[in-house]
Amino acid sequence: MVLPFSSYAGAKICNMFEIDWMSLALPFAYITVLGGSLYTFSTVYRKRKAEPWFPPHLQRNVYLSLLHMQPEAGQEKAPKIPDSIIRAALLRRAVENIRRIIQIRTSKQALNTLLQKGSVGEDLNQRFLAAEREIEEELRDVANALSPGWGQTIFQSANEIAANTVLRTRLEEIEGRLEADKQWWEKRRETIKEDFMKELDEDSAKGSAKAVSDEEAVHVELSSPAATLSKKKKKGKN
Amino acid sequence: MSDLDTFTLLPLQVDPQSKAVETTSSSKSLQTELAALNALHRSLLNLETPHNIPPPPIPVNPKRSANINKLRENANTEHRKGKYADAVKLYTLGIQMALSRPLWEPQGLVREEVAGLYANRAQSYMALQQWPEGSIDAEMSVETKRTGNAKAWWRRGKCLLEMGRVEEARDWCRKGLEMESNEAELAALLKDIEAKLGKGKGEGEDE
Repeated sequence: MVLPFSSYAGAKICNMFEIDWMSLALPFAYITVLGGSLYTFSTVYRKRKAEPWFPPHLQRNVYLSLLHMQPEAGQEKAPKIPDSIIRAALLRRAVENIRRIIQIRTSKQALNTLLQKGSVGEDLNQRFLAAEREIEEELRDVANALSPGWGQTIFQSANEIAANTVLRTRLEEIEGRLEADKQWWEKRRETIKEDFMKELDEDSAKGSAKAVSDEEAVHVELSSPAATLSKKKKKGKN
Repeated sequence: MSDLDTFTLLPLQVDPQSKAVETTSSSKSLQTELAALNALHRSLLNLETPHNIPPPPIPVNPKRSANINKLRENANTEHRKGKYADAVKLYTLGIQMALSRPLWEPQGLVREEVAGLYANRAQSYMALQQWPEGSIDAEMSVETKRTGNAKAWWRRGKCLLEMGRVEEARDWCRKGLEMESNEAELAALLKDIEAKLGKGKGEGEDE
């Protein structure tokens, strides 16, 4: 581009352009923020709508995969899965369903309080209900696949399995802290012991240095047995 | 709704020898799930019910309960005799036996059995001045039985205090008193702790 002006004028124009850009910064920022927030809202909203309440039902996939085993390469027939494995897989599936129902029930209580307070919208409630219906249908689906008679007890068993699993996990968590606690206590006892030893050393050092006056000597004799006693007591607490 | 008609076909195979379900997938969650499935399968195979189906949770086979009771009583006797280490061993056996109940047996029963055993083992550990073990056992007892378990609340508070974890002991006892409001011993322990913290003056507990 050839400028028909003198270099002085060109410089001035350049200067003007720079000033213009600066004053344009605010509107541009406004547009960027507006566009950005619209984009974020639309992606988040769409994602939220599409996202199911629970992660993929792994136990259901395992169970159905076992029912629909594909023949291995070079073989015509799919391998036969023992019935006992199918039943175990079905029970695992029922346990996961129980776990989900419990999760929904506990969330539902919290949700209802939020709804009453008005801090949560009706759409979230709809998602909850949809998830619950989904599970109910799934339970029926499982029940239909049961062997005769088992339908009456499988969910009782699944219930206990779910609760027992939670209980054992909690106990393992607590027990998992034992090693650290023991090590901490071991160290602390060592420090306590060392402190007493130091105190003892200081006392005896003081004693030998200042044993000139009778008063000090008495003080040393009085304090040392006390220190030894408490040291012994701590030692006994192994 | 379409979710109910479709599923994800997973790359599974069954080992013809061990009958264990295996996968070629490297998914951690799938492998964990298969381990749980195989464990459940094995315990179902041990059943003598038709089709190896778990029996309903109730009634419980009384054999194991009787064994656990016996272990607890023997342990109590050892504790009374002052043989605390032996008592600990017997309580441990009882705990193992209770926790190795098949998972489909009533968890309420497991809680009841284990709560007593942990609380008692905590006492034996305390007699041995093994405070960390005692405090963890008492906590496990409370975890399995939160109300009507004042002894376990007290024992953990005492163990924490013995280890010099005074503030933790205070918080623990306060929490315990919310559950067991009329427990004089727990309240007394809390007073001791607060006195030790130098805060016992204007802040006395209600009970």
